[in-house]
Amino acid sequence: MKNPYKILGLGLCLFGAIFSPMSYFIIDSVPLTALGISALILGFTCIALADTRPYVSPEACEMILKTGMENTGALLEELGLKSKAIYLPSAMRDGHPQALIPLVDGRDIQQVKGKIQGRLIVRYGADPEDMAIAVATPGSINMDMLETKPGPTSGEIEAAATYILTGLLDLANSVNVNISDNRVNVEVSGSRLRYQDIWYYRCLGSPIASIMAAISSEALGKPVRIEQEEHGKGGKLRIILAVLS
Amino acid sequence: MRVYNKLVVSLALATCMIDTLLAAGGQKNLEVYLTINIIAYLVITLLYVYLNPRARRALNTISMVLFGAFLVVVAIKVMEVLRG
Repeated sequence: MKNPYKILGLGLCLFGAIFSPMSYFIIDSVPLTALGISALILGFTCIALADTRPYVSPEACEMILKTGMENTGALLEELGLKSKAIYLPSAMRDGHPQALIPLVDGRDIQQVKGKIQGRLIVRYGADPEDMAIAVATPGSINMDMLETKPGPTSGEIEAAATYILTGLLDLANSVNVNISDNRVNVEVSGSRLRYQDIWYYRCLGSPIASIMAAISSEALGKPVRIEQEEHGKGGKLRIILAVLS
Repeated sequence: MRVYNKLVVSLALATCMIDTLLAAGGQKNLEVYLTINIIAYLVITLLYVYLNPRARRALNTISMVLFGAFLVVVAIKVMEVLRG
């Protein structure tokens, strides 16, 4: 009974169930009867919403996210990888979108083509030094939550991002997407995750940037890299994604 | 949880506003209140299209019940008109 929506819903239902017949039959007031019925409708809505809250607490989710990030961060730090990750669409990675981090820094990785093997250490080019590690990111996991694959327009990417970031994960208030040349400019307002200067974020980007990169990569069907991530005041976040090949 | 809060607050504000305006306008017909409130509910819940699938399903169930009530009100009114 700790669910606040259930408590509010039951309270409103009780109020509506008592107040509306009382207003109609005893007080003889139609506006007050309507108010009682409105409370009843709102009460049922709150009760319905109460049952759709996530089973796992936000604290448990944060713990799981931090564990995964620290493990991947430790792996990246141990291997000394500093290159920015390249987000691949699912068509290039055995049906699951993933991020590729080149093992050699400074290699030209503009032309990632064809299907990359479904392993941790993969080859992405013809040169022996064209090796990378492929990891799952928050963005790649979230792609399964989309009912349909988004189309390549900025409107469709924005709708998919709003659905995931605002509707499902409640990580931001709104998302705005613009595509120009080979750049995807994203503006997120009311972001509830702060940027941390840690190895994981420097390589793979913050979870919100990672989600945006994975959605854009999947929508455009091309590899994408997080070029820039700026965190402003009041949870404003500006992400610039570079579309490769 | 902020999305849920926004939805509940917008529904509460809309119903309060509708009831107050209709009462101020001297409306005495309960069916008018009911119909306008149902329409407002359907429009507002439709705007929250990006809610998670479980919440969407729950809201759709309530919307269907309310739409049924709306149809009943309309059917009664049509019958009244036809009977003269």
